[in-house]
Amino acid sequence: MRGRVSGDGSLLIEGNVEGDITVRGDLTIAEGGRATSSIEADAVTLRGELDGDVRARGLVRIEAGARVRGDVTGESVALEEGAEFVGRLDAAFELPAELGGTTGGRRR
Amino acid sequence: MANSSTQTTLIGSGTFVRGRVTGTGDLEIAGRIEGEVTCTGDVTVESSGLVGAPIAAHRIVVRGAVKGDLTAEEAIVLEAGARVVGDLRAPRIAIAPGGLVRGHVQTGGAGAARPRSAAATATVNRSSSSSAAKPAAKAVLPPLPPPLPPPARVEREVKTAPVVVANGRPAPRAAARVGPPPPVVPALKKGTKAIAHHKKR
Amino acid sequence: MASTVISAGITIEGEVTSDEDVVVQGTLRGKLIAKDAVTVEHGGTVEADITSGPVAIAGVVTGNINSSDRVDLQNGAKVVGNVKATRITIADGAQFKGNVDMDV
Repeated sequence: MRGRVSGDGSLLIEGNVEGDITVRGDLTIAEGGRATSSIEADAVTLRGELDGDVRARGLVRIEAGARVRGDVTGESVALEEGAEFVGRLDAAFELPAELGGTTGGRRR
Repeated sequence: MANSSTQTTLIGSGTFVRGRVTGTGDLEIAGRIEGEVTCTGDVTVESSGLVGAPIAAHRIVVRGAVKGDLTAEEAIVLEAGARVVGDLRAPRIAIAPGGLVRGHVQTGGAGAARPRSAAATATVNRSSSSSAAKPAAKAVLPPLPPPLPPPARVEREVKTAPVVVANGRPAPRAAARVGPPPPVVPALKKGTKAIAHHKKR
Repeated sequence: MASTVISAGITIEGEVTSDEDVVVQGTLRGKLIAKDAVTVEHGGTVEADITSGPVAIAGVVTGNINSSDRVDLQNGAKVVGNVKATRITIADGAQFKGNVDMDV
């Protein structure tokens, strides 16, 4: 399937999708599923392949067997050992003051 | 007293090391280190640990706070409570729910210290096939109406009518990756950067 | 109180500051400031000034030792540096070169 997908519900991808996806609900890419897409959703579960960024409002789970390339932002991102991942993870948090607090870049 | 067969170095919670820590054996950090840590064994940053240093080791487990890149030969594990600002590079990486990280994360490859910049600039490999397909997909095609909505697909909390995207045709699903034969996503190449062209928003 | 142990395979180059006991079985180059006891075990090497509570040495120390308590050089110890302490013992088999100041 190609194109832009948006909707109010949740989405389960078992096949091939290309194109941006924006849903109000949760999104899952099943094992064997593949998306080449930018994704916006609540909770995101990746078991298949994703080439694209994820912006989740909720939790992101990248399970063993998933292959993900893209940047992922979410309330919390869990990566199972065995998942393949290349990209950025950006969680919102602060380091303790001794390490720079509201951190900026690496300063070495 | 003398027998030092323990081989685990412990930086206690009341200790602050400013400098370079190198060597063999395991290292447990419950205190503070600023500088550099390179170790052939396993490094554990305990929940009270504060490390402002890049860490290179065989295996790295983080329960505390780290500002610095982590490079491991075997695996990196961030447990709940971990807070890491820095890049993670190892053949296997696990981040438990509650483990927080901000940085480039890359699994696979011979984890041994790959210079940080390599990943940052290596957009190269995967360009061709996928990028060609991309622009077409993005703008033009209106979303295909779901064929005969096969209802019984399991979803997470359904808010409204769940939409299931099968492969366009009802027939072959998950296992058979039907459709465009050349895989859009080639096997992840080491060092390839997250795609750039997609995320323009 | 916990203690910090620098084990045999490890080298620290820099400053170590601690409010715990510190045991050195490996190598420390730089500076060591400990509130409590410092032990340099046999095989341990410290190339640094040490400021601490009591100090027990069976290894090699090159640097000045400024202790608020006692300093004991055991058999096998090799110390080159000045020692300031309230008490000092130099066991048979220990080697020492430096000044001793016991704040008399």
